[in-house]
Amino acid sequence: MKHGMISGAVAIVPLALGAAVYGFAFGLLASQSGFPWWGVGVMSVSVHAGASQIVAVEQFATTGTVLGAVLAAAALNLRYVGIVASLSQVLDGLPLGRKLIAIHITGDENWALTMARRAKSPDVGAAFLMGSGLVMISVWTASTAGGALIGAVLPDLERFGLGFAFTAAFIAMARGLWRGRGRALPWAVAAAATMAAISFGAPRAYGIVAGALSGLVVISMMRRITQRGNRLGKKGRAAS
Amino acid sequence: MTGAHWAVIGLLAVGAFAIRVSGLVAGRRIRDSRHAWVLDDLPGLIVVSLVTSSLVGQPLLTWIAAAVALGIAILTDHVIATMAVGVSVFAALSWLGV
Repeated sequence: MKHGMISGAVAIVPLALGAAVYGFAFGLLASQSGFPWWGVGVMSVSVHAGASQIVAVEQFATTGTVLGAVLAAAALNLRYVGIVASLSQVLDGLPLGRKLIAIHITGDENWALTMARRAKSPDVGAAFLMGSGLVMISVWTASTAGGALIGAVLPDLERFGLGFAFTAAFIAMARGLWRGRGRALPWAVAAAATMAAISFGAPRAYGIVAGALSGLVVISMMRRITQRGNRLGKKGRAAS
Repeated sequence: MTGAHWAVIGLLAVGAFAIRVSGLVAGRRIRDSRHAWVLDDLPGLIVVSLVTSSLVGQPLLTWIAAAVALGIAILTDHVIATMAVGVSVFAALSWLGV
């Protein structure tokens, strides 16, 4: 367990550094909306959902309504139903308390890294997820609170490509999750559906949910066609 | 910090955790059903959708850097190498004014 946690903690460091940049920027935004630095820290450690925190604070700052801000943020988090569901096997056997901690410290980055590593090596599991998750939530909390304190002096790191670091990391993780040409069509449909949804004005998070669901529909159809083909083949062999 | 600030934090925390717990319950049910294959295919589909969502509406240089990163990922299957080359290409193209 300890070895797996250390392995996860080390592997996530490059991604955590990228998250820290966003953390600083978010902390600054939150402090301008009236949250003290410690309040930002409390929010980050208790919510641990970057994009939805940003949306909630933006909504709260512009509309001043609590419910609107919370509902917008919750909608953005819907993909976590699928993300956590996919961890079912990884978390199998853990006591309930640890499962709840594990899902709370699960974010896009450490989840995707865990699944990509697990695709190569089935030994990678809950310990790796939790080690990487603890680093991510610690860095996120510290950087957001730090941003609220000193964010105004941060240079614009986006133009040096740090924002693109996440995209590149997720591309590499997709490569790790590639399961052969049989998945090319569903992946293409998922990408196209995401693109279409966002192009038609849907928020980014909805686009991700729409893409993943579209891909699942295609795989389901492919499985039905394969099963029907197998049944027909068996009947044909039986008849001859 | 006002009561409204506290309410935002508290409700956000409860909402985020409730969504995660519903995923935990859904995962167990799906795994025990004939739709267990969903759990194997979902990670790849979500990651592909995440990548696509971060590219939609981005300028040409982001797409070029993503194409290079994809090439490196296919060749190396290594996260840090892909990040390093991708960010370097993005920064270089940005510096060149692409």
